[in-house]
Amino acid sequence: MKKHRKPIQYLILAFAVLIGGYAIGRSFFTTQSVLKAGSEAPAFELADLSGQTHDLDSYKGKPLVLNFWGTFCPPCRDEMPALQKEYDKWKDQGLQLVGINLSEDRISVQQFAASVGARFPILLDRNKITEKRYGLKEYPTTFFISSDGHIQEIAIGGPMSEEDIDSHIKRLFETSPKS
Amino acid sequence: MLQFQNTKCECGHQNPTGTVLCESCGKPLVEDLPLDSPLEMRYDGVARRSQKANPDLLDRVWNFFSSVKIAVWLIVITLIGASVGTIFPQEDTFINLDDPAQYYKDTYGTWGYIYQSLGLARTYESWWFVGLLAMIGTSLVICSLDRVLPLYRALSKQQIRKHHAFLTRQQTVYIGQLEQEPAAWTSSFANQLRRKRYRVTAEDTALLAEKNRFSRWGPYINHIGLIIFLLAVLARGIPSWHLDEYVSMDEGQTKQIPNTNYFVKNDKFTVEFYKDEELPPELKGTNRAKLYRTEATLYECTANCNDTTGKDPVLKEVAQHDIEVNSPLSYHGLDLYQYNYEPQARLISVRPMLVDSRTGKSYGPFDLPMNDPPLTYEAGPYTLKLSNVFPDFGLDDQNRPMTKTRDPNNPAFVFIVTGPGLSEDGEMYIYFPLPSGDDKTIQNQINQSLQKAGSNSGRFTFEVGKMENVSFSQYTTFLNVRVDRAMPFIWVGAGISMIGLIMGFYWQHRRIWLRIEDGKLTLGAHTNKNTYGIRAELAAALNKTGVAVEPKALDNRRNTR
Repeated sequence: MKKHRKPIQYLILAFAVLIGGYAIGRSFFTTQSVLKAGSEAPAFELADLSGQTHDLDSYKGKPLVLNFWGTFCPPCRDEMPALQKEYDKWKDQGLQLVGINLSEDRISVQQFAASVGARFPILLDRNKITEKRYGLKEYPTTFFISSDGHIQEIAIGGPMSEEDIDSHIKRLFETSPKS
Repeated sequence: MLQFQNTKCECGHQNPTGTVLCESCGKPLVEDLPLDSPLEMRYDGVARRSQKANPDLLDRVWNFFSSVKIAVWLIVITLIGASVGTIFPQEDTFINLDDPAQYYKDTYGTWGYIYQSLGLARTYESWWFVGLLAMIGTSLVICSLDRVLPLYRALSKQQIRKHHAFLTRQQTVYIGQLEQEPAAWTSSFANQLRRKRYRVTAEDTALLAEKNRFSRWGPYINHIGLIIFLLAVLARGIPSWHLDEYVSMDEGQTKQIPNTNYFVKNDKFTVEFYKDEELPPELKGTNRAKLYRTEATLYECTANCNDTTGKDPVLKEVAQHDIEVNSPLSYHGLDLYQYNYEPQARLISVRPMLVDSRTGKSYGPFDLPMNDPPLTYEAGPYTLKLSNVFPDFGLDDQNRPMTKTRDPNNPAFVFIVTGPGLSEDGEMYIYFPLPSGDDKTIQNQINQSLQKAGSNSGRFTFEVGKMENVSFSQYTTFLNVRVDRAMPFIWVGAGISMIGLIMGFYWQHRRIWLRIEDGKLTLGAHTNKNTYGIRAELAAALNKTGVAVEPKALDNRRNTR
């Protein structure tokens, strides 16, 4: 019995360190991470208005503007034309601009996009899943994502003017290598 | 600190460092007390496991956790920490807290802000609090091991003939000249003690009687229970062991339980209130709920559970229950409790008729669900194509129709009607299914302006007619979904701990030693609590065997004063 005493003591202390360490370690990771500039953009896979699916990876390699909007949100409605103009201006240089609708009926989204002349790609979120993944608190929220998939800037609220959007996009191109 | 100490007793027994009373004969080895005071009988005077002359690092760590003083301090600090956590509500008591920092600042002022930024709003999940709990757990294990093993050893090989100093320095002592033949008296005294359920072992003219030794293990069994309890609390951190979510549903609505593959449907919600005559006078005229009930169906999702691309989840019904307060739906460790409800009238579906105002003829009815409405409908010879949906109809600042929210508070549907006698492009009508007067007025205004614009001829209207063609939800129900797989272990731990407490509190470990030399009886007795009890028991046994003594006279502490 006596010669086993040391190993048993080590064993008990090792258990204490293991369980205690696990519990303490966990306390550092339970706080929810908030998306901020520099974070990697969370993945998504969504259908567009014609039913075709797109995921975040398919946008990698070129700068991406991700605009979360809904027909129920007046500033979202108001900034649609500005977004369309900026898309027209920059798309030849490789800019991708995608609107993610906030889980509304496809038919309402189609009608609204047509009525305001928004022709940039629009994806449909469902059951607020993507919106939650991006931690949205206010509508609209626009993410400016560099070509390597990292969030460079987040514009919360709106409506943004053409100049606002333009300056964001310029900064996006300054840091992202043009392709 | 321990000093070098000769641990060999005069009886020849070699004791470990730190021994207070010789393990064999019971002679006091540490003479720092007044010579005639009662002995320190804790752990029967044996050394703690970790007491050593030359401690190494392991021994020092072990000694730290083995100290009861340290354990008490750890508990005090933990209690202070735990009470600090109750100054303001903890973050996890809020269901939807997006920005805790801002919330605490706005609600509780500067102190709230400081409180939150120090991390005290998450006290019970903080590293230091969990760390303290882990240290208390370690201390529990090590303190117990260090004491229970030597104590067990000491109690299982007790010497019957004890040193005089050991006997005369017990709390209960009798010394006197025996007027009877020692062997005969000893055996009749032993019989008296046996009748009191003592286990008696005699050796010549020395005797040891003992009962209820198991009560000494009470504290350690209590500690085992506490350790299981503590481990169970820590185990709640294992992701699938603990879940605490809320789901709100209108009647007829199916929703996913967050972070699970389960979906739940509110088939029907009922609330009943007490009638006025059932209420006491001071509550008459108020709405007092008598019953809330959610008739719920639980589904397990087998595919496309978190799909966002348009594929519907594949659901398999697994359970059904009428959830009432204290009667949750339980399925494989998942519990759905009735948490709250809210009066919130919402349409589920309507069955309107398409009415031709020129002929007075009506067509249909057709089914129009508010959630995910289909794109085309048939009403007699006419086809209705859904062209737009506004779940919560309103006008924006440019007077364009819009939906104010995503909730179906005031739904409006735009249809394009095609069929016999209508142009190829069809005619456009808006329909408000809610039967409110305001809506009907707006519906007419919009349809008239559509008529002016040439989009319709004003020929059709919609009519629901009887109420049975309308199904609506009166209430939104809120369910609390919980998984707590650690709960059985918490109960087991609490149960073991309670058994240990009862063992330790309601029984006493009593021992009586005696030795007779030249007709002189020296008797010492020890109990770990209730000295009155053992004195009474001992005096009765002595009196019955011809040794007249008052229970009070046995009190050694009294005599020394």
